Amino acid sequence: MRYLRPASCDEALGMLSAPDTRIVAGGTDVYPALRDRAPRFDMVDVTGIADLRKITQEDDWLRIGAAATWSELIRHPLPPAFDGLKAAAREVGSVQIQNAGTVAGNLCNASPAADGVPPLLTLDAEVEVAGPEGARRLPLGDFILGPRRTALAPGEMVTAVLVPEPPAGAVSAFAKLGSRTYLVISIAMVSVLATAAEGRIAEARVAVGACSPVAVRLSALEADLAGRPVADLNDLGLVTSAHLAPLSPLSDVRGSAAYRVDAVGTLVRRALLAALEGRNG
Amino acid sequence: MSQIHVTTKINGDETEFLCGPEETLLDVLRDHLGMTGTKEGCGTGDCGACSVTVDGRLVCSCLMLGAEAEGHEIGTIEGVAKGDELHPVQKKFLDHAALQCGICTPGFLVAAKALLDRTLEPTEEEVRYWLAGNLCRCTGYDKIVRAVMDTAAELRGA
Repeated sequence: MRYLRPASCDEALGMLSAPDTRIVAGGTDVYPALRDRAPRFDMVDVTGIADLRKITQEDDWLRIGAAATWSELIRHPLPPAFDGLKAAAREVGSVQIQNAGTVAGNLCNASPAADGVPPLLTLDAEVEVAGPEGARRLPLGDFILGPRRTALAPGEMVTAVLVPEPPAGAVSAFAKLGSRTYLVISIAMVSVLATAAEGRIAEARVAVGACSPVAVRLSALEADLAGRPVADLNDLGLVTSAHLAPLSPLSDVRGSAAYRVDAVGTLVRRALLAALEGRNG
Repeated sequence: MSQIHVTTKINGDETEFLCGPEETLLDVLRDHLGMTGTKEGCGTGDCGACSVTVDGRLVCSCLMLGAEAEGHEIGTIEGVAKGDELHPVQKKFLDHAALQCGICTPGFLVAAKALLDRTLEPTEEEVRYWLAGNLCRCTGYDKIVRAVMDTAAELRGA
């Protein structure tokens, strides 16, 4: 194996055209997965590409460079529509991990329990990819195909996560259920983004992670929430099993499938109340 | 495998070393540079015993290659005291007996100092959140948190 540190995307793409290469950016997922074995691939460390480290506003899009860390995102001033994403960032591992791990890497690692995915789904994020055939962009929902599987073709690399201008006045929140407060892999997590006017929900976007092979938006629930009084969020029966039909949680050491689905209903109400009224349900 | 030549600054001193491409910064510190204050606990970024700072940012040195240190400033536990003069947070760890077996202590001290370098007014919740990436299997957390809170109070002159 070799350790390669390209200074530009073009240089990185040249390196990635060779077989047995892996992109590393912080390494918080790559290194532990090696389990003390020497890597059998060349590591292409993209954190030295200055452009990829930046978080910038470009026209109506927030551009999160592929090598930008969770800590850099937390420090970047952003409107309340990004509070859910920032809250998720603060729960990605420890401070040590937030300082090394990247937002884009969280997507590329494609864990069903990736903290970054639900909030980015509610933000309608897109993934920018560069490759030998040129650049392309695809919605986050089309980028992650399954556990540990993405739409990245051989030789391609993510260059940025792009977030369109959120709806005016949008608020957001993130709710994660784990077996303790810090440093947990989620039993279930929910991210919401919403707008409200005169006591009614105008628009609500709801995404759930750790309860299906890939985190999903609950579109039927979103449709039902639009136009309802915010006060309805206090109704314990608000979220029905039909709303949660897109979920297919596993039963594992962290929780049973039934428990996960039940928890999601509560997390959705809590997250929406936290976002819209600044309180927990 | 070819060796990589790395130029870096460790605790303020210009340092050069050669390392294999697979060696972690933790391997380099302990095995090549003889700086054994930084401990290996889990090797997977869960326990924080190997905490160091890179350009002031707290990271796990087990999750970083030695080669990645090129051009960066590394801070380790060996740089926390100034010569024989312990850093205030080290003194408070002694005052509060905030250690038992001691393996996690260097990581806690490096992490605590990184927090105190950012703020001298952390709440207890902030201290607990900040130190959540440092595990103590003797479970002496309460004394550790009190030692850090007490250090912050002393440093801000309270």
